[in-house]
Amino acid sequence: MKNSLKPNKRVVGTIAVLGVLALTVTGCTRTATDGGAGAGTGADETAAPSPGITDTTLSLGISSPLSGPTAGPGSCSVAGLDSYLEAQNAAGGFEFGDGKTREVTLTYLDDTYDPAKTVSNFKQLVGDGIFAYVGALGTPTNAAIMPIANSEEVPQVLLVTGATAFSEDQKANPWTFGLLPTYYDEANTFGKLLADAGKPITVAVLSQNDDFGKDYVAGLTDAIEGSDVTIVDSATYEPTDTTLDSQVTQLAASKADVLMSAVSVTPLQVGVLTKAQSIGWLPRIFLPSNTSTPGTILEPGGATAYPAVYSTSLTKVPASPTFAEDEDVKAYNAAFAEYGSKIAAVYTPHCAWSYAEGAILGEAFKGMEEPTRDSFMTALKSIKDFQAPLLLDGITVDTTRDDQPAISGLTLVQASGPGYAPAKAY
Amino acid sequence: MKNLLARPIVRLLLAVVIAVVIIVAPISSSSFINYQLSLIAVFAVALLGLNIVMGYTGQVSLGQSAFLGLGAYIAAYGVRQEWPVVVIFLLCCIIPAAVGLLVALAAARLRGLALAMVTIALPIIGVPLAKRFPDFTGGSVGSTVSWLEAPEGSGLADDQFRYYLVVAIAVVLFILGRNLVRGRIGRAFAIVKSNEAVALSMGISPYRYKVLAFTIASLFGGASGFLYIAVVQYTSPETLSFATSINLVAAMVIGGSASILGTVLGAIYFVMLPVVAGQIDSSRTALISGAALLLVLFLLPGGLVSLPRRIAQLVRGGRGGSPRSRAAADRPPTGDTAPRTTAAPEAEKQPR
Repeated sequence: MKNSLKPNKRVVGTIAVLGVLALTVTGCTRTATDGGAGAGTGADETAAPSPGITDTTLSLGISSPLSGPTAGPGSCSVAGLDSYLEAQNAAGGFEFGDGKTREVTLTYLDDTYDPAKTVSNFKQLVGDGIFAYVGALGTPTNAAIMPIANSEEVPQVLLVTGATAFSEDQKANPWTFGLLPTYYDEANTFGKLLADAGKPITVAVLSQNDDFGKDYVAGLTDAIEGSDVTIVDSATYEPTDTTLDSQVTQLAASKADVLMSAVSVTPLQVGVLTKAQSIGWLPRIFLPSNTSTPGTILEPGGATAYPAVYSTSLTKVPASPTFAEDEDVKAYNAAFAEYGSKIAAVYTPHCAWSYAEGAILGEAFKGMEEPTRDSFMTALKSIKDFQAPLLLDGITVDTTRDDQPAISGLTLVQASGPGYAPAKAY
Repeated sequence: MKNLLARPIVRLLLAVVIAVVIIVAPISSSSFINYQLSLIAVFAVALLGLNIVMGYTGQVSLGQSAFLGLGAYIAAYGVRQEWPVVVIFLLCCIIPAAVGLLVALAAARLRGLALAMVTIALPIIGVPLAKRFPDFTGGSVGSTVSWLEAPEGSGLADDQFRYYLVVAIAVVLFILGRNLVRGRIGRAFAIVKSNEAVALSMGISPYRYKVLAFTIASLFGGASGFLYIAVVQYTSPETLSFATSINLVAAMVIGGSASILGTVLGAIYFVMLPVVAGQIDSSRTALISGAALLLVLFLLPGGLVSLPRRIAQLVRGGRGGSPRSRAAADRPPTGDTAPRTTAAPEAEKQPR
């Protein structure tokens, strides 16, 4: 009561205090620590170190979907990489081109495949001082941060996506490029197998109704141009569809010899395999690498009913008995059991891809002569004929091309027994 | 505590403090924090629209993300065509509002579950539609824009400039929204919500007011899409995905339905929870978010906005007895029932 007798004095006093406070805070303008430090100072003989690197450590960051519908592949894109890095750290650390040995740490954040969260995570990682952003999964999520990464000159490299947009113009976006062969390459490799057969073959095409689907169709069409192979019917689907039975029935009416089933949704791909055989259509089938895992696609889909099931592959499948005695696979399995299994519960090919990606990073570190992002990018962009662990024979890493991802070779494989084996000619 | 807050001087002081914090915050904060603060403003506007149709008018809408996405696409397209910012902003409000009006003309005849189903359709149709018109939307890869750089000589970094712009627009929209729900139309909304027959008997057409509420919600959704592009500078079909809609509804309930302050709290929850969960354990964000949601709903059925009252209640009750006996003792008309009675109808407002 007493206080309320002199309200004005109090109000004025408080506002004055606040005003002074505000001015004080305004005075301390923030220092420009955000990114941007990658550019060297020109004439200096040794450039100042970039953020995220010391004489003994280097920190990497990644934002992938770790929850939600894409959590499986997203978690694997982190787990494989983390397994390689941690195993190498435990073995003494990474050798760098400047003669020092560093421990490489990975900070990973969940973006649930939401681009706005990816931007947020990227800003957080850069603010926390990561050296480079590596191996993130997802097309929209990576597209959202590509302009920021390039304007702040933070490496955004070896992205786990098959979209062409990240690698096709590395002159315009010098800080960004992808890891994996594109969807176009996958279908193109398969188309060549058909064209090389040198006989009339009819093909039915089922693809997703968007630019990814178009990439697949374009890859196939370009490969069979001028050969005896013809596309006799095609159908599209939406990822939100609950069943593709009508599309399969329609395509079955064409009685095509081959079905290219470029379906990227696991349950739908299984549905295609079960439906086609249930109506007596048994073509040879091509599956994209995303949806070709034996345990989740081939077995439930009853793939053994078909004369041949093809897919493309980059890596040895760790669970496959064919590679059980392979040194790379043994190392991978040990590392994954110790480090990766905490992050990803189920195997998808992304685990193996991102494990190989760790080795590519290690190769880049070896060539890095200065502790700067510039030097890292130069080293990373000069890797050629590098045989990364888990990659199949004949698939090597070549980062020197300005319009291609790091890996662009592909091996065509054919389902046999519980896994895949190299494909025979058609 | 309550008396203290009721005094005009205290309220004025509080407003001044908040205003100073809002104005000063971005100057010393990092670009990451400014981005979070800007995102809170973006989603607060979307939540305000949702609150007008769900909290104040009592109609289910699970389609708010579609309007947010539509606004974002219009803004991205406008930026690519180099339209003036004011024109883009107006189009981002008008077109989603018109779409919302069209949908509502048909949908507002329904109620409850049927209405919810119709509104679910919007984001579900929206995602494939957005992928189908790559010239307008950029397809699955989405479209990136680069605009609203801080003007030369302002001394602001881009993120600070965008923060001020977004927050200024959000504040204006919030004042408009507050006046709307406190005025004649807001009173009509409240009657439509509590009993349509009574509304009719008073000469208020429930149908017309439901359509109005939907249209206004779509307008706010579209406006938040504009703000989204201003902050994120990117949009893709993921922006209008159904999951965003559901999360917005959850955030609205958690903030406090039919409350302006609750809307802001809901937006803070919506933006900050994933960040906080990520700090705790990145591979368990969904689990942590779910636990937090349950916790809030159990402890604060009226939403975060009821937190001060709840604390006051606990403090006053804290003088004697165990928590359990205290809660039981508070039930009789000791004055502590007040928060309960205000919280209960808010819970009932949620459609079952």
